Amino acid sequence: MDFSLEYTKEQAEFAKEVRRWLDENAPKDLVSPWDIRKTSPQEWQKRREFARKLGEKGWLYPRFPRQYGGGGLDVAHTFVVNEEIANRNLGPPPHYDSGGLAAPAILNCATEEQKKRFLPSMLKGEATTWQLFTEPDAGTDEANQQTSALRHVREKDHFVINGGKIFVGSIYGPPTQFLLLTKSDFEAPRHGNLAMFLAPANLPGITIQPLDLFPSGIFAQVGSGPGRKNSVFFDDVKIHESYLIGGDHDGWKVADATLTVEHGGGERVPRIPRNPVVEKFFAQCQNNPNVIKRLQENPELLHSVVDVYIGAQIERLWTLRNSGQPIRGGGPQLSMYGKMYGARLATVMASVLGPYAFADDEWALDDGIFETGERNAVCFAPGGTPEALKIVISRGLGIGR
Amino acid sequence: MSLDLQLTESEEMLRKTALDFIQRDAPKEVIQALQETDTGCSEELWRKATDIGWLGVIIPEMYGGTENPLTTAGVLFETLGLGPLPGPFFSSGILGSLIVLEAGTEEQKQRILPAVAAGEQILTLALTEPEYSWEPGAVQTTAESKNGDFVLNGVKLFTIDAQAATHFIVVARTGKKTVPGKGLSLFLVDSKSDGVSVRRMPGFFAGRNCEVKLDSVKVARSAMLGNKGEGWPALRQAINKSIPVLCAYKVGGCQAVLEMALEYSRIRVQFGQPVGRFQRVQDMIIEMFNHLEAARWTTYESLWKLDTQRPATESVHLAKVVSSEAYWQVCTLAHREFSGVGYAKDHPLSFHTRASRYLYNYLGDPSYHRQQIARLLTGC
Ligand SMILES: Cc1cc2nc3c(=O)[nH]c(=O)nc-3n(C[C@H](O)[C@H](O)[C@H](O)COP(=O)(O)OP(=O)(O)OC[C@H]3O[C@@H](n4cnc5c(N)ncnc54)[C@H](O)[C@@H]3O)c2cc1C
Repeated sequence: MDFSLEYTKEQAEFAKEVRRWLDENAPKDLVSPWDIRKTSPQEWQKRREFARKLGEKGWLYPRFPRQYGGGGLDVAHTFVVNEEIANRNLGPPPHYDSGGLAAPAILNCATEEQKKRFLPSMLKGEATTWQLFTEPDAGTDEANQQTSALRHVREKDHFVINGGKIFVGSIYGPPTQFLLLTKSDFEAPRHGNLAMFLAPANLPGITIQPLDLFPSGIFAQVGSGPGRKNSVFFDDVKIHESYLIGGDHDGWKVADATLTVEHGGGERVPRIPRNPVVEKFFAQCQNNPNVIKRLQENPELLHSVVDVYIGAQIERLWTLRNSGQPIRGGGPQLSMYGKMYGARLATVMASVLGPYAFADDEWALDDGIFETGERNAVCFAPGGTPEALKIVISRGLGIGR
Repeated sequence: MSLDLQLTESEEMLRKTALDFIQRDAPKEVIQALQETDTGCSEELWRKATDIGWLGVIIPEMYGGTENPLTTAGVLFETLGLGPLPGPFFSSGILGSLIVLEAGTEEQKQRILPAVAAGEQILTLALTEPEYSWEPGAVQTTAESKNGDFVLNGVKLFTIDAQAATHFIVVARTGKKTVPGKGLSLFLVDSKSDGVSVRRMPGFFAGRNCEVKLDSVKVARSAMLGNKGEGWPALRQAINKSIPVLCAYKVGGCQAVLEMALEYSRIRVQFGQPVGRFQRVQDMIIEMFNHLEAARWTTYESLWKLDTQRPATESVHLAKVVSSEAYWQVCTLAHREFSGVGYAKDHPLSFHTRASRYLYNYLGDPSYHRQQIARLLTGC
């Protein structure tokens, strides 16, 4: 075995090239509030521009095939690109969901013509895509879609979409398009009655309504969620069948292709897991005299910090494991662990930092990262609840349905 | 043996009154509106609560209160915790009153307590500072004596309910810091005094925490509660007696959240059945139920011990550990069950989550109280 993530000579050369490019192209004056929702529209635009530059270079989605606008890089070089970007606290760029979640579905399930039509703009960071699966009555039970997509009565090459989605998307919508799960057949059996669209977001009849939820997302934290969620309503939205991904009864299969990625499977590029909340927390434990004093005075607190450390190591190793040979249930296992670990971390932070963990003004430590982290720690839902993930893990272990 | 774990008739009555009050005067919309106010209270609610006598619930009759045992106050605060009704009810009616009772001179009690019971004076304790701690050693605010009066300087941080208070009970150093707990005095400071500035601290979970700055604030000698340099033991006493009442508020919070969670598990349907049918959801609810019942009985036993003059210190620490963790965990578990809908800022669960967070460290976080238990149990 070799756990080393150090660059080889050749990779080090490549890293130099990446750094040089980043020196020239990465925005230098980015202000990054930890809470994504505090990002100004101007800052957002700067990040988008940077994502486009990365995309142009093929480094936004380095692993994807060149012919569709990806970088065509192998695993090791992808690792180098991702590391160098992350080292500058620049990831993940705000191209929300396009390449991460939607592109794998397109790559696996769309026609060649659709791949050529859709993928380049997504992989080059020009198009943004929101994942629109969840509905008020279709949460964990995602197959229970009520948003209908029925063939237009006269124009048979069109569908008409009606319904509503919830807890979806991001800030600064509308995006370019939605990866939209719908119910296309009211007679067919469950799972075989769904259709997936890559629907332009500017079609007539679409309304986006931002939701006021208290959890947000943290910049630079992988899998942190995008910050703001919305409801999206479809009112007699007419859409051409060329936006249908897969057949009009294949929606479940297409959804599965993205969910595998979301549950921690899919593209396997090793990465050094970064959890800025944990990193900053340890820095406080090492450098903040008040915190050090509390730790010295109270062995229980000290032990809880060690527990946080142990958890971080397990998370790190499972992340590396997942990037090697896939093991069954390993993706959702890591995803669930991250959620449970986050909840444990939240109580430790509140005990060790005291109410500073909740401060969001000039008394806040590390620009309020702990305050944002505390709010996110109760947010178990994105990408599936722990209970839903347990179902997926059990399936992986051969003991579930 | 006369074991009886029922509420007395008068406690039962008080509970009913309080429940009616919460349902009628402080429904969800009101609690939601109060979240965003600096004081956590409205004049109308305050007047009504004062009229029922809640601000004087433990104040002796001779000082204008109704002189109830702490257990009765616990029953009241458990009910307020169902809301959870914010506002300086605990800060003034329980902790503030007890500090005056423990530390004040006879003249001070006669002067201050009737006004507190009548809701005219609103007290809150201003103890913690940038070096956050519930131990005396961390107090750096100073009170210098000048021509018989005092001048206060310092910053009080994470002071709960300071925006609502008319008076702060400021813990300040009047002597050298040689022995911890010595040389600290308590001052009743009018929040409108020159040199006082108060600001509510933002942050979704910062709740009712405030920053109080004292910049050369002049206070008269008569504002010092009790004797110079002897404030700490009395304050410690008052805090210990107050803690279980705060715990009862958290018990109420746990109860309300459990009820919400039960209700939701019955009405939320996924995969064609109520989610409460899933054993994983049942597991979470049972865990919440365990937390609630652990918090409830540690709390009420400590109240009983205090009321019956039994040694109660260990029991008070126990209640604070168990109920603070219970309220925190119950809310976290409920978020797991409610999933998407529970994250809305206007969802009642989020009011409790906020309270469970901002009250977690108040009067000492669980690890602090665990350490006190460790000392009592082992001497270590
Ligand atoms: C911040 C945030 C970001 C999100 N982003 C997106 C997005 O970009 N796109 C999108 O489509 N959706 C998104 N979602 C929605 C998310 O995927 C759902 O919230 C999630 O799938 C759970 O659905 P639900 O909230 O309806 O909970 P429910 O499914 O109603 O679950 C309620 C409870 O029942 C449990 N439960 C349900 N079924 C079972 C079962 N079979 N066995 C055991 N327990 C069960 C759950 O675990 C939970 O505890 C987001 C949600 C949030 C909060």
